[in-house]
Amino acid sequence: MDIIGLLFEPYIFIPLVFPGLIAAFILLLIIIWLERKIAAKVQLRYGPLYVLKPLGGVIQTVADLLRYLFQEPIIPKGVDRIAFLMTPVFLFGLAYLPLVAIPVSPTYYAFRSDVSLLLVLALTTLAPIFTVLMGWASNNKFSLIGGVREGYLVISYEIPMFLSALSMALLYNSLDLVEIAEAQRRIWGALLNPVAALTMLLLMYMSTSRFPFEIPEAESEIVAGPYTEYSGIIYGLVMGASYVKLYVLSLVYSILFLGGWNPLPSNDAILAGTILFIKAFLLVAIGAFLRAVYPRFRIDQAIGIGWKIAFPLSLISILLSLSLIIGGVSLVG
Amino acid sequence: MSSMEEREIELLIGPQHPASGHMRLVAKVDGDVVVELRPNIGYVHRSVEKLAEVKKYLQIIPLVERPSLADTTANNLAYVMAVEKLLGIDPPERAKYLRTLLAEINRIHSHLYGLGIHGVMIGSSTAYMWCFGDREPFLELAQELTGARLTYSYIIPGGVRRDLPAGFGERAERVLRYMENRMKDYFDLYFNNPVVRARLEGVGVLSRDDAIRLGVTGPNLRASGVAYDVRRAEPYAAYPELEFDVVTEQAGDSFARVMVRVREIVESMRIIRQVLRKIPEGPILHENYEKLIPPKLREEMKRRGMVKFPSVFANLRVPAGEAISRVEGGRGEVVFHIVSDGKLSPYRMRMVTPSFRNVILFEHLTRGVRVADIPAIYGSLDYFPPEADR
Repeated sequence: MDIIGLLFEPYIFIPLVFPGLIAAFILLLIIIWLERKIAAKVQLRYGPLYVLKPLGGVIQTVADLLRYLFQEPIIPKGVDRIAFLMTPVFLFGLAYLPLVAIPVSPTYYAFRSDVSLLLVLALTTLAPIFTVLMGWASNNKFSLIGGVREGYLVISYEIPMFLSALSMALLYNSLDLVEIAEAQRRIWGALLNPVAALTMLLLMYMSTSRFPFEIPEAESEIVAGPYTEYSGIIYGLVMGASYVKLYVLSLVYSILFLGGWNPLPSNDAILAGTILFIKAFLLVAIGAFLRAVYPRFRIDQAIGIGWKIAFPLSLISILLSLSLIIGGVSLVG
Repeated sequence: MSSMEEREIELLIGPQHPASGHMRLVAKVDGDVVVELRPNIGYVHRSVEKLAEVKKYLQIIPLVERPSLADTTANNLAYVMAVEKLLGIDPPERAKYLRTLLAEINRIHSHLYGLGIHGVMIGSSTAYMWCFGDREPFLELAQELTGARLTYSYIIPGGVRRDLPAGFGERAERVLRYMENRMKDYFDLYFNNPVVRARLEGVGVLSRDDAIRLGVTGPNLRASGVAYDVRRAEPYAAYPELEFDVVTEQAGDSFARVMVRVREIVESMRIIRQVLRKIPEGPILHENYEKLIPPKLREEMKRRGMVKFPSVFANLRVPAGEAISRVEGGRGEVVFHIVSDGKLSPYRMRMVTPSFRNVILFEHLTRGVRVADIPAIYGSLDYFPPEADR
């Protein structure tokens, strides 16, 4: 009994179950299936069909996961073994670690801090380091170039993404995600500062390698970039990491711009969590849909978008927030 | 210079790379910029020219189709035209129209193949799926006409192997209307997509002078503003009697090359419509050969619209001499040169395929571009590795 009680303690339940690792896994499975299904719809074909036929092959991804699990992970000669094997684990772990700081409802959170927004943003920044390390450890020119490309990109998307997220913190006068969500009872952040919302959405998809920014692992150019040498379940981990990161950023985005658990004012953790999850799920689904529409940008064009478009836009979003504050828009309280 | 050399990485793209096809590209890259790109084409050796010297004239027809699987009719037609020149015969009018019909159906699905490959090379799996899906109706049309899906071997010395099936016209019309509707989707989602434009415009620019100097052929030449088309320059089959425009673009970049192919699909559809309207009645095999067929078989052939080869056909003996023929294939000019010494096999056969003439562009267009531009340029050239190595 005590064990079950312990499981439902927020500091265990949130990072591990919801919206933590298990929810992330389930979302991963659904989203990859959905991505293939949506793309198939656009491309006039069926997509996954045979595994659990009545529901349109919905557990195809589970079958794929099992295959990955039992596939032989090949470790090539000449790689840095420790770095090669450990980086996927760290990459995946760090991708979902920010979940500890994301609240599910005003009363239900694993870890409340005055600076939880900063904490989440800081933790998401750590993951790309491992992608670069992965490219280096693989001892393969395609991996190396892929890793370097990731490095290039990180610099161009992180700064404007932080700026546009922090412009909202300025507006809410808080870095606490609970307070930020609560401040949007009457009006959502996306309506107050649409520039920041647009910039962050763009950069969110860019940072998680969605199309048209699927640049580090562009298969027609540099095979699979940093992941070229990976196989089996360690490949499954690195591929899953970007989806999990997208999920985490979608949760943050929902709290920053889409009112978090609003519009249903609720202290019920289950209801609030569900609303938050649905919003995040939609954002992830949009990211998956982009695959069907766009080819991928060239790296210099993506970096150009980061610096020439997103960076000025994020500065404008800060100015917009400041002018709103000076204009007397009060959200807190 | 030595410090520059240390900066460069030699990157071997292919032969086992998602975007290399059956060949290897040896790229020297400095960071993300390509310093030099040398294509190494010799990975699908087919030795068609050598094999042709030991095979009989009819056996060579399926052989010459092999190097260019997406565009078999052009090779088939060019080879047969060279043989016919040596034989000194001219096929009947109806056969000429049927040859044109198949050539244009083939051009459309060859172009769709190229566009699909190009789509996936810049990351658009949708363009790939659409183009390959929309090849299907055209493949089926060709299959209905010839009985084969890809290597038709439809054109034989003196005519064609089969007559037009009943009801072909309506079915073709339905396919053409379908494709016209699809064209709008292609433009909405792919060709007018800002990302596609950003990836293709101004990338791999081939100037008009360079295009002429390097001996480029086909859509790649016309994308640089040179209105050269063998169908106009040296008309063959039924082309002199048909109306069509030679599609050209001025920009010479990757986008122009893709656009030329898209617009050529439209022109080809126009030609198919005219062929189906204008096709005359008459025999499909030259009278010299028709009268060799035993009367009973000849009657059955007329009834079923399919040519039964007379046995003498297998040992077709071609008079001594030389002949050159040229045809505009999907990727450019196909040239056949046959030297005959009057025996059962050609003394020497030489084929010049468009991809072999276009391979030089890899080195020329990729100097100083980004690594990501390599597949974009590769795809826009519609390069088919087996065709280069024959």
